[in-house]
Amino acid sequence: MFHVKLSLFSQTKQLEQKIDAMLDKIIEAAMVFKKASDVFLKEKRSTTYRKLSKEIKTIEHDADGLRREIENRLYTQNLIPDFRGNILELVENLDKVINEFDDVAHKFYIEQPEIDPRYHERFRELVGQVCECAENLAMAARAFFRDLPAVRDYAKKVYWLEHESDKTTAALKEAVFDSDLELAHKLQLESFLSEVADIADLAENCIDQLLIYVIKRDI
Amino acid sequence: MDLTFLFFLSSGLFLGWSLGANDASNIFGTAVGTKMLKFRTAAVIASFFVVLGAVYGGAGGSATLNRLGHVNALAGAFMVALAAALSVYWMARLRITVSTSQAIVGAIVGWNLYGGRATDMSVLGQIVSTWVICPVLSGVVAVVLYFLMRKLFRIWHVHLLRQDAYIRRALIVTGALCAYALGANNIANVVGVFADSAPFEPVHFGKLFEWSGQQVLFFLGALAICVGVFTYSHKVMMTVGNNLMKMSPRAALVVVLAQAIVLFIFSSQALNAWLGAHRLPLIPLVPVSSTQSVIGAILGIGLLKGGRGINWNIGGQIVLGWLITPLAALVLCFVGLFFMENVFQQTVLIM
Repeated sequence: MFHVKLSLFSQTKQLEQKIDAMLDKIIEAAMVFKKASDVFLKEKRSTTYRKLSKEIKTIEHDADGLRREIENRLYTQNLIPDFRGNILELVENLDKVINEFDDVAHKFYIEQPEIDPRYHERFRELVGQVCECAENLAMAARAFFRDLPAVRDYAKKVYWLEHESDKTTAALKEAVFDSDLELAHKLQLESFLSEVADIADLAENCIDQLLIYVIKRDI
Repeated sequence: MDLTFLFFLSSGLFLGWSLGANDASNIFGTAVGTKMLKFRTAAVIASFFVVLGAVYGGAGGSATLNRLGHVNALAGAFMVALAAALSVYWMARLRITVSTSQAIVGAIVGWNLYGGRATDMSVLGQIVSTWVICPVLSGVVAVVLYFLMRKLFRIWHVHLLRQDAYIRRALIVTGALCAYALGANNIANVVGVFADSAPFEPVHFGKLFEWSGQQVLFFLGALAICVGVFTYSHKVMMTVGNNLMKMSPRAALVVVLAQAIVLFIFSSQALNAWLGAHRLPLIPLVPVSSTQSVIGAILGIGLLKGGRGINWNIGGQIVLGWLITPLAALVLCFVGLFFMENVFQQTVLIM
């Protein structure tokens, strides 16, 4: 009996670790993406960039595996019946953020857009905001499991960063279209900027849902 | 074995079945309703501990019910049990969770009325007053526990999954204790009246242990409760666990804990002695209804959340059931005793 009890608790602990690992993957993806963007601006599609892009792909692949395992365990072990659906939704949305990091990094690798040095600083600023946004989302999600009141603090940061990233994107797009670049080039850059900004938008959507779950858990 | 005895015992077993169908829902209804436990797991745990409680803790009997009316003839006891069982069964069919103790009280008062015996109004008053005090007190205890649990989980930063694991185990442990108490406290209501006339011999289980004749009788009563748990309690569990109000697992645990605490308050002589020593108002030591306690706790939590989640229609049905059950048992018992005495020529009371 005692053994069964211990093993049951260890299963819960394993699942806790898997959720934590999934959240770590977001932070990892954000950090590697930031580094990769920097490398891309300096070296374009260099070996280093190729390695970093591959690293993001591996993180995305691992996160997919973790998501499937979390979903599987939640259902087969019949855990948290009242929040199971919400947790699944949350995990799937977190995975979408990681997927987006991977998609954008891969797009840079394939299309190799020409980014004029005059946009580099603002572009770095945008990537920084987007990555911080994702990191705060991960912290908010972690707080959802352990420290409910803290979710609101991280959510506030995500909202602020998303808003800032929108402003940076708009300013960059304006600068691109005011320039004397070819229209095709302008459109390509516009598409890249939108994709990078989408990461922050996904994080914001995720936070919106998370705050609803907080209200549900709190009552 | 005397067939007459077995015939009369059948009403007690029927009451046991009704008790199982109805009262198991008080113990595990919230856990099953919130999907924290599967029905089969809940039914197995409830049955095992009900049998244990009945066989090893049931000898105390229910003194207060005896004070209300000491049913002293086998045919009378048959009709008291049958009337109570029929009222509970009727309500269970309507999926209304009712109080078995109320049904028994109603039936005993019916027996008193038929026999022209005076009902001890002070005892009846005490019992009836608990029908109001018990749900209110349960509601208050549940609200306090709910706040306390929320606070503690927050202070300790317990992971959501860990909370789930703790609550699940706490529901099993508390449910098992409540099932033991249900068996111990209610077996006397089910077959206690047949104890004097039971023809059972002591049973030896090798050199391990032995059961007295009374324990064998209580075991039979407990088996009837188990059959009720397995065959009919699922529907009532869903009413308690979900239909009255959508509950979280945490609320489910609070409800069972509040029930256990309130039942303890109304049965603890030590607590009453302490209250007396400190010149505080005493609590009447009467068998209170676990159903009323559970419903009171659920409503308490519902009101704490603003009352929007409560299905007042079902709540109203339940309260109406509390009024109808004792009255129905009283009338059924009175009419049944008349037929028993005048049509079947049985002695229903010894003057």
